[in-house]
Amino acid sequence: MLTNKHDAIAIVFANSYDNEVPPLVNERLMASIPFAGRYRLIDFTLSSLVNCGIDNVSIIVKKNYRSLMRHLGSGRPWDLVRKNGGLNIVPPFAEKGVKVYNGRVEAVASIVEFLKTCKEQYVVMTDSNIACNFDYSDMIRAHQENGADVTIAYKNEPIPYGFLNLQTTQSSDLYYTLDLDGDKVTAINTNSKEYGPQNLSMNLYLTEREKLIAQIEKAYAQGHVFYERDVLAPMIGTAKICGYEFKGYSARITDMVSYFDENMKLLDPDNLKALFDGFDVYTTVRDDNPARYIAGSKVSNSLIADGCVIEGEVDNCILFRGVKVGKGTILKNCILMQDSVIASNCDIEYTIMDKEVSIASGKSVKGEKTFPVFVPAFKKIL
Amino acid sequence: MAKEMVAMILAGGQGSRLYALTDKLAKPAVPFGGKYRIIDFPLSNCVNSGIDTVGILTQYQPLVLNEYIGHGQPWDLDRLHGGVHVLPPYQQAQGSDWYKGTANAIYQNLSFLRRYDPEYVIILSGDQICKQDYNDFLEFHKAKGADFSVAVMEVPWDEASRFGLMVTDADDRIGEFQEKPKEPKSNLASMGIYIFNFDVLEKYLEEDEANPDSSNDFGNDILPALLRDGKNMYAYRFNGYWKDVGTISSLWEANMEVLNPESSGINLFDDDWKIYSRSSGKAAQYIADGAVVEDSMLTNGCRIFGTVRHSILFAGVEVEEGAVVEDAVVMGNVKISSGAKVCHCIVAENAEIGESAVIGEKPAPGNEKNVATVGPGVKVGARAVVSGNAMVKEDIEEGGKC
Repeated sequence: MLTNKHDAIAIVFANSYDNEVPPLVNERLMASIPFAGRYRLIDFTLSSLVNCGIDNVSIIVKKNYRSLMRHLGSGRPWDLVRKNGGLNIVPPFAEKGVKVYNGRVEAVASIVEFLKTCKEQYVVMTDSNIACNFDYSDMIRAHQENGADVTIAYKNEPIPYGFLNLQTTQSSDLYYTLDLDGDKVTAINTNSKEYGPQNLSMNLYLTEREKLIAQIEKAYAQGHVFYERDVLAPMIGTAKICGYEFKGYSARITDMVSYFDENMKLLDPDNLKALFDGFDVYTTVRDDNPARYIAGSKVSNSLIADGCVIEGEVDNCILFRGVKVGKGTILKNCILMQDSVIASNCDIEYTIMDKEVSIASGKSVKGEKTFPVFVPAFKKIL
Repeated sequence: MAKEMVAMILAGGQGSRLYALTDKLAKPAVPFGGKYRIIDFPLSNCVNSGIDTVGILTQYQPLVLNEYIGHGQPWDLDRLHGGVHVLPPYQQAQGSDWYKGTANAIYQNLSFLRRYDPEYVIILSGDQICKQDYNDFLEFHKAKGADFSVAVMEVPWDEASRFGLMVTDADDRIGEFQEKPKEPKSNLASMGIYIFNFDVLEKYLEEDEANPDSSNDFGNDILPALLRDGKNMYAYRFNGYWKDVGTISSLWEANMEVLNPESSGINLFDDDWKIYSRSSGKAAQYIADGAVVEDSMLTNGCRIFGTVRHSILFAGVEVEEGAVVEDAVVMGNVKISSGAKVCHCIVAENAEIGESAVIGEKPAPGNEKNVATVGPGVKVGARAVVSGNAMVKEDIEEGGKC
């Protein structure tokens, strides 16, 4: 093989499940939520795609996408500055009298003309609320071997608490479980409340481009909205829809608690290895200096990014790039996003701080394991 | 498009006193300070000073350097006009030659310089650790109406005889140049950083090339010729941190100084003068429960289960439980197995230190210059011992000594 380039393009939905993590998406969207110390969620999706040789990526955004656009820039960190393909950010096209799209059908319908100009055989579509090292090559292989019309990636896991307690019934927030006969999907269930491990869809689909165009044009003309419910489910029986089980490590963000937990899970070295080993995850380069641990600091069981300066005590924490922890400060079970500054002699537990928070000396901020305190971006606690 | 000043970085040197570290790469590509390579300093200085056209003259083992520089994007030097250019010796219609000396290297690339029609050319050394605003230097050069200026550092008088010295008058005009003299008449040491008016540079390089007896070196040949002709030559005093990391011990020392920016003056934490580098793309560093990390600097991808004190760890270093790293410079992707003791040493990229191996030792007072060195990719077997001033290039078997 001369290159590992795949005959596929990708469509990424950047606003998936926004409504489930309201504080985090106040000024951003799911795809640009900071995760694992130095990344945004979309870095995992883009890196997986690029590592698998898929370099024609359209990102469909709906609202609050400024932070994502700033993050993505021209797409250089992901090697997505390409003459053919590369990065394509698709904001909603606001025509007079036309509402901003709702479901996946309408979203894809808005780029059908673009899809028609592509030459690639396959299209992968994915949400952006799951951080994992996904092997698209293997999924394409399985799709071809099965002679499938559509392949849906799923993970066999219990339905997360966040899904069982959805905040809205908007289309972007539905979830799906699959009934399978071997690899063949026999039913797609919407918002199942079943107990125990289920074949929970990752909302990651593979199909042929021509077929997708036909599916979407038909569904859009008929006024359908939901790809899974209105397009895929009725196809069962007439077309071959297959499941593809993802067995690797994944972190799925479905609510604030899962955001906290999935970050914290990475403090287990086995999980850290499972997510990152053998996986180059690209992100924007900030040219931070190496992290500095000043004499007298004490750090244990924590993930620390470049640019941090630590003088105090840090235990069970995730510190994003450029966080400063002053002398005498004790941080326990916290997630501090980029450039937050904690002065000296603070006592902080079970707290998620969004970016660039600053806390004056001697303050105490404490949440509970089951209810971490959230401090919004740029907040100053004086 | 004309450029006011173009920079030329001399990066062809082997740096033979760095032994195993420069076997496979040129000295400017030697890793430094946790996430940098030495050449990041002159490159970042250029960009921060507003110079957007830079030639890098390479000769010795250029592959790592070429790949590292790439199209220059990490330094914002991927430009439509100008940008960074790696300039190896090349074949010409009139025969070809390796770079015979520093002056000859620039001479062979005069056509590169002419393309940008610069008024000034700054000649930089690719193997110094220094944060310097070249714009201030240029302002000085212009204010003096100089043909040539050299950046100088004041050094202690008792060390002056180790340097090339500029003897100046009250106006900083250079009247004499002494190369490592027994009896120094000045304590202003040349940093090897020069600004030339381009027409002067062009003329003197051509004359020098025509002289078969010349060693084609700036210090030996060009500067004396300028002096002889009574050109306007000035010494520009630089007061910041400057270090020529030419030896293992000075490289180790400079890294240790990075750990202590408040007193050493080499501050990598300066947002107004960032040092840029090509990034590793690894996950955040993990400090395990029970690990100790103190007075150290670590980079992305490190995973620490043991003890790290007063050390610099580059990207992707793993320190297993029970291992102790102290006063050490540990370069990228090194693995230090459990029970190993790594002390007062430099461990180069991709080396593997076996279980309970001992690398280096705390030096007796007065012997601080003994710095053990483990070369790139070297595997040190379990329980092997590398003594305090050993230089290891080959794998050491289990229980072996060096």
